[in-house]
Amino acid sequence: MIKVTDLNAYYGQFHVLKDVSITIDKKEVVVVLGPNGHGKSTLLKSICGLAEKTTGEIMLNDISLINLSSEKVVDFGVTYIAETRELFPNMTVLENLKLGAYSRHARPFEKENLEKVLDLFPRLAHRLKQMASTMSGGEAKMLAIARGLMSNAKFLAIDEPSLGLQPNLRTEVFNTIKAINDEGITILLVEQNIPQIAELASKIYVLEEGKITFEGSKDEAISDDHLKEIFLGM
Amino acid sequence: MFSEDTILMLYEITDVIIAGLSNGSVYALMAVGMTLVYGVTKAFNFAYGDFFNMGGYFAWILIVGLGLEFGGYITVFLIVVPLLFAVGYGLETFMVAPLRNRADWENRVMMLTLGLALFLSNLYMVVFGTKLKSLPPIIDGILELGQIVFSYQDIMIFVMSLGGILLFGWMLNNTRTGLAVRAVAQNPAGAKIVGINIKRIFASTFAISTVMVGFGGILLSQKLFINPTSGGAIMVKAWVVTAFGGMGSIRGGLYAAFIIGMMEAFVGWIFGMSYTIIALFVLLLATLVIRPQGLMGKGA
Repeated sequence: MIKVTDLNAYYGQFHVLKDVSITIDKKEVVVVLGPNGHGKSTLLKSICGLAEKTTGEIMLNDISLINLSSEKVVDFGVTYIAETRELFPNMTVLENLKLGAYSRHARPFEKENLEKVLDLFPRLAHRLKQMASTMSGGEAKMLAIARGLMSNAKFLAIDEPSLGLQPNLRTEVFNTIKAINDEGITILLVEQNIPQIAELASKIYVLEEGKITFEGSKDEAISDDHLKEIFLGM
Repeated sequence: MFSEDTILMLYEITDVIIAGLSNGSVYALMAVGMTLVYGVTKAFNFAYGDFFNMGGYFAWILIVGLGLEFGGYITVFLIVVPLLFAVGYGLETFMVAPLRNRADWENRVMMLTLGLALFLSNLYMVVFGTKLKSLPPIIDGILELGQIVFSYQDIMIFVMSLGGILLFGWMLNNTRTGLAVRAVAQNPAGAKIVGINIKRIFASTFAISTVMVGFGGILLSQKLFINPTSGGAIMVKAWVVTAFGGMGSIRGGLYAAFIIGMMEAFVGWIFGMSYTIIALFVLLLATLVIRPQGLMGKGA
């Protein structure tokens, strides 16, 4: 569904991604692992039209996404969900969700998607009139994911959804991601939480210093010595 | 019963209050436009006051220059409002936006708009001369309620400015574009993520603010004169109202505008018009000392 070939990305002077190539098939959950600051978020942002400067090729089926602005990429059904959430603090939960459906292709489905999203996150349904800034960390995370779903996306790039959450909320977030994937949405996930990823991932990439250093199934990942070393210190 | 003098003074006070309300309503329009641009694009526009005069001159060209009689104010608004919108949109798109990718862009935008302010006021002098121009009132005549006299012009100015603000407020809260404008003001990164075209919102915001101040120019130029070099003073006044109300707070700007409109009217009546500018700066200094974030600002 998405094929990234020889992607290079830059932040000012920094060369963040170096010839990165990854493939995500339809309905898959692909996970990107790697140390902090090695380019995982930049990879997700590059795909979603949010990176500063990129070269190479990003194909969504047969549409090229490279260097398209985010509003065009979102319109093709490709949406980024930020680790930092990036909500609109002085707006209500409902307004945040409505803005999730801002793009042209999402508008006709706004009502339908709102119902779906509130089904998936029943807690948000009771808080539609609440200001986003007054929500707890976990709820804000849910809202960020829910807002991403409002875009009627076929592909979600989710950046560290469990970061900073309590264990029970983490499980909730992962269950939700699984439910989203079961609906047929393809997911590219950046995550550090190894045990929970293992259940979800159909393919794992490792990104170190801007380069892909490992690609394989989760079984291959578990038996890889280099991966054990960097993530488990074994 | 009251003496003759007391009654006369009461009538005078009523006049002063009416003048304060009508001036205040135009200031409100100007302050909302200024706070809007600052809140959404984080850019400060030094040429703001010259767009006030631009509205006045555009109207003057149509009414006096081309001889459209004063019944034709509707035509004037129909032509001038889109024109001001186009000027603002083009300016932001072609001159401000390219600066945004550079380091220290806020200062560059200030320099740009400062240059533009000089350019416009000199352009006005070359084209229209240094002699002050005036516009005929939208409606002539007076409304008498017992002994109290309202000029239709004051009522019209009040109604149209307030109408403009209410229309804008309604759009901000009830239209998709309005929602997008608020989203960009609160979190540009989030706005990009949901697929809002930020550049277009910046340009539209700048255009709407140009329309607001230019529209204010048409309204107030019926009472005052159009002066080619007054842009700076008008910008300062709009800025004082905005700072007093609290940068970025539309509601604060509204309250501040009416307080300042009233203050000017009363100071002018008691001490003479030349004292109003002094009062304005005393108020600004007091605000900066006592409550630097303004009436309803959220602080830095």
